[in-house]
Amino acid sequence: MAGLAYQLLRIVRSGLPADHSQAAGKQRPAIRYAMTGAMNPVKKESAFRHWPTYIAGVVYHLGTFLAIGLYFIILAGIETGRVAAFVLAGALLLSSLAGFGILLKRMIKPALRHLSIADDYISNLLVSLFQLCTGLMLAGAGIEFIYYMIVSILCVYLPLGKLRHCILFFAARYHLARFYGHRGVWPPRSAAMTGND
Amino acid sequence: MLQVLASKLDSHLLTSLNACVRCGLCAESCVYYQASGDERMIPARKVELLGSIYKYYYRPQARLLPVISGARAINGRTVTEMIDLFFGACTGCGRCEPHCSIGVAIAHVNAVGRAMLSEAGLTPASLQSTVNAALETGNNMAIPTDEFVDTIRWMEEEMQDEISDTRARIPLDETDVNVLYTLNPREPKFFPLSISAMAKVFYAAGESWTLSTRMYDVTNYAFFSNHAAESRLIAERLRDEVFHLRAKTLVLAECGHGSRAFRWEAPNYLGHALPFETLTSVELIHRYITQKRIRLDGKRLKERITLHDPCNLVRSGGIIQEQRDIIHRIAEDFEEMTPHGADNLCCGGGGGQLAMSEYNERRLKIGELKADQIRKTGASIVITPCHNCVDQLSQLNFTYKLGVRIMTLAELVADALIFDQ
Repeated sequence: MAGLAYQLLRIVRSGLPADHSQAAGKQRPAIRYAMTGAMNPVKKESAFRHWPTYIAGVVYHLGTFLAIGLYFIILAGIETGRVAAFVLAGALLLSSLAGFGILLKRMIKPALRHLSIADDYISNLLVSLFQLCTGLMLAGAGIEFIYYMIVSILCVYLPLGKLRHCILFFAARYHLARFYGHRGVWPPRSAAMTGND
Repeated sequence: MLQVLASKLDSHLLTSLNACVRCGLCAESCVYYQASGDERMIPARKVELLGSIYKYYYRPQARLLPVISGARAINGRTVTEMIDLFFGACTGCGRCEPHCSIGVAIAHVNAVGRAMLSEAGLTPASLQSTVNAALETGNNMAIPTDEFVDTIRWMEEEMQDEISDTRARIPLDETDVNVLYTLNPREPKFFPLSISAMAKVFYAAGESWTLSTRMYDVTNYAFFSNHAAESRLIAERLRDEVFHLRAKTLVLAECGHGSRAFRWEAPNYLGHALPFETLTSVELIHRYITQKRIRLDGKRLKERITLHDPCNLVRSGGIIQEQRDIIHRIAEDFEEMTPHGADNLCCGGGGGQLAMSEYNERRLKIGELKADQIRKTGASIVITPCHNCVDQLSQLNFTYKLGVRIMTLAELVADALIFDQ
């Protein structure tokens, strides 16, 4: 967490680029739009042209948030109850499968393989294993050592590789909104401003 | 090169270089990848290229483990790749950014890559020669002043004959006017009728305006090479000409990058806000119509018409609805392309591609997507408020046998003007 906080602090301290041009729009509504309407999968080609990957990605990310929450529950020794544990384990099994599926796609699709660096495979594998191990822990498998080892590696790796996008995602959306908001493009005021309908 | 990178490492660039997850989902949003299927041209690849250099010089842990991080030093191989991808495989249209699953400023990263190369003297020679022409002669086509004046006088006479009014003028170097109007040098060189088209609009609106003989060039090709000193110098000249002629408003001709370079980028090149109003000609014509200063022969055009949106004017400039409002007043049968507006496809002529003959084949290949879009509308007229786009669309018209007429917005409006007797 300290590593991530350092990364964020470094970016904040590097300062916003000055823009002396006269604004044509407001930034706050643009930021709201960047986090909401602009994320609408029906409007984003990265989603609607890749529905299986998009859905797998959403499931995978939800699984990550769930596994992080459950890590603290497991650490605190709080009992979840048998039914809840099995339901949560099932959800994590599904999300880890989505993660392994994305990893497999990266390995076999030539264009994606060309684009990838080792960090991509490591990050994907670590998070998928984290979800799987969390699910197995909930299901009562005796894998404490493996689970905490995966968590430890993940915590060390988090601020070093691409997993930093957990905070940089919001910074990137903010900068995109700042650009389009200032120039009056976001939020769109007419159908032509989205243009793919 | 590293000094340029260091000078641009603000939170915007740092975020962009570090936030990309290389999911590759941006690929289909890029006309280069769509047209070629070449994985090197995936937008994320361009981010990774600059990101790998950033990691090598700014992240010690990444430099220690390049196998994992992909960190790369600047050497002959990376520089060759940078030139090919940043100059030869991106028009800076920015379409990939809103479609990126994260929202990485990919076009901005590409522009920083170009800045690094241009400061090192590695701008493609053809693009640099266009910049040099502007720096040395005051316009990117090196048109001598007397040739320019002759063209303007010729257009003025033609206009007076057509309107039958000797008071219809194309003023030169007049002071204390409302509007200082600019031109893309392609106009006096190849398309002088677009100058008289806009002059007719000014005449009909009763505007007090002028052209400058010293600095009329709206373009700033150093915006494409992203060379700080050169882009600033060109912007300074235009700003100073507004001061010199004491004009109230600077109106930027139909030129996507020229409009962007002065309206949005020049204040940052110059380090201060512009102390005068700056409008694009699209906004001005729209204003004249809404203020009822010009009247148009409504729905006079029966042919099917479509509109190509210049990326720099639309997606990066916010001028999206105005041109549509104008066209709707004139054309009966207006058909949008799919996609259009802020989501339009680049025609392939942006980013200085028209000036870089090295990449002609690629430029025409990526333009096939635009040609298909035009064909699907069934239109016989394509309007675009950008002379660079006019040039590229004209070449696409020829190459892909579209059989359409390419017009600027001012030409469309001028044909529909109703002149008070």
